[in-house]
Amino acid sequence: MQYMKIRYGEPFSIPRRLGTELFKEVVRIRGIDYVKGKGFIVSDYYALSSLNKILVKLGLILKPEVKCFLCGKNIDCDKCEFSQVCRKNVSTCLCDVCISKFSLVSDYISRQKSLLSNVKPSIR
Amino acid sequence: MVWTEKYRPKTLPEVIGNEEAKVELVKWLINWEKGREKTIGVLLVGPPGIGKTTAIYALANDFSYHVVELNASEYRTSEKIMERVGSITRSYTLESYFGEKKRERIIVFFDEIDGIDPKEDKGGLDTVINIANKREFPVIAAANVPDRQKHKKLFENFKIIEFRQLTPRQIIIILKRIISRENLNIPDEILKNIAQRSRGDARLAINMLQAASVGIPIESISQPLENLPLDELLRRFSSATSIYEIKQLVDSNSNLWEDVIYIYYDIISRNPVIKLDDKMALLEDLSKIDIYLYRMNKERKYFYLRYLSHLLSWFIYKANRAGAVYDGRIPEYRLYMFILNRDAREEFKKLSEEVKRRLHESVRKFVLYTLPYYCLTSSMKDLKKLEKWCEKNYGLAR
Repeated sequence: MQYMKIRYGEPFSIPRRLGTELFKEVVRIRGIDYVKGKGFIVSDYYALSSLNKILVKLGLILKPEVKCFLCGKNIDCDKCEFSQVCRKNVSTCLCDVCISKFSLVSDYISRQKSLLSNVKPSIR
Repeated sequence: MVWTEKYRPKTLPEVIGNEEAKVELVKWLINWEKGREKTIGVLLVGPPGIGKTTAIYALANDFSYHVVELNASEYRTSEKIMERVGSITRSYTLESYFGEKKRERIIVFFDEIDGIDPKEDKGGLDTVINIANKREFPVIAAANVPDRQKHKKLFENFKIIEFRQLTPRQIIIILKRIISRENLNIPDEILKNIAQRSRGDARLAINMLQAASVGIPIESISQPLENLPLDELLRRFSSATSIYEIKQLVDSNSNLWEDVIYIYYDIISRNPVIKLDDKMALLEDLSKIDIYLYRMNKERKYFYLRYLSHLLSWFIYKANRAGAVYDGRIPEYRLYMFILNRDAREEFKKLSEEVKRRLHESVRKFVLYTLPYYCLTSSMKDLKKLEKWCEKNYGLAR
């Protein structure tokens, strides 16, 4: 079984030949789009689990890549305490270590400042 | 003062969540100012309470703009929109002439733009596009569930930026920020409970926190009603993570219950994944709900509503768990009405009108009761077949 990481909302190619019927089946899933020249776009966790049901037959499983917004560490959504209530359609969240930090709010704001000041330096 | 207003972020870095969307928004405004932007405006799309409006006000503050907000519930027609925007631009010109103006630049913000109906609201949407086309000032719109077909012009001319629901952990950041400012002592369990119950809605989470701070149970704070289009409602049912969320959706959209029942009948009966026993049990439940709904409408016994709301919510919850998930496929007999070309549709309409006349039943009932039965017995590819079938069964002579 091959595992492949993808990011929600970003196009990717499936390294398998789907064929017409499977392709039709895939694009009919709610939350999955196909953009010509770019590839498939998965919008959320629920669409991804439906897609995986099809791809597992071809020996492929897609895994969402979710990173901690503060430290950049990979996050496993299935191990999160909020897994049952979260829509899990984001590419960034917060890891167990960062969420429990005392300076969480100020760290988050300064991280956002640095991100936005790359685009507009006056945002500080 | 309500905390949702008191602690509304003033700058973009203070707005929690949707980091990439905010960068997109800033980039768009910079390009728009330099005249390099191809799109004439921005449309922020996403469910309520995730920071769309807040992001616009924060953006305006960061770029020294003044926001002129028009809500679609008040300003829907072309005349009303022009009246408001025109008066703003005139007053700014006068203030500027007399030297009273502090902030020259304005952002025109159309909130809940999906509330404007392109047909019924006398050119309201065209006016929004015309205003944006002039490029006198940046035009930003926000919508919860815009219809790609109905608001086609908006999708073609505006840059679409999707705002996503916040994760419970992002909600916790918002709550912790308020807790530290208010100097509160709220246990982590309550914070987690709020983060879970708010389902990504920051506004709701803050209201719950304010309630908890004065000893009101957070369970008493309910989510605002959301009227959704059928397709969106079914999608939300399938992705709902708790019975509370389903119940909330069911209660907010009682006008669509009948359609929901028919569509779930279709989803369950053609689903190959559900076990036969489960399928039978689910259909049994669904038939009971259907009977209650029919009785309620026929005998005008609206007290059934309270039972129906629970029954339907639990039914959907059980159906979800059994694997009956809406995959975006409209049941075949309904699809038939939507996707055929105009001639075929007209022909179908004529036929159903005839059926209506002969059988003394509405077109809706014909589509809901008679046509599905036909679908089970024959393929829908040939309209002539349907005609013959109706002729044979109902004695239709044309």
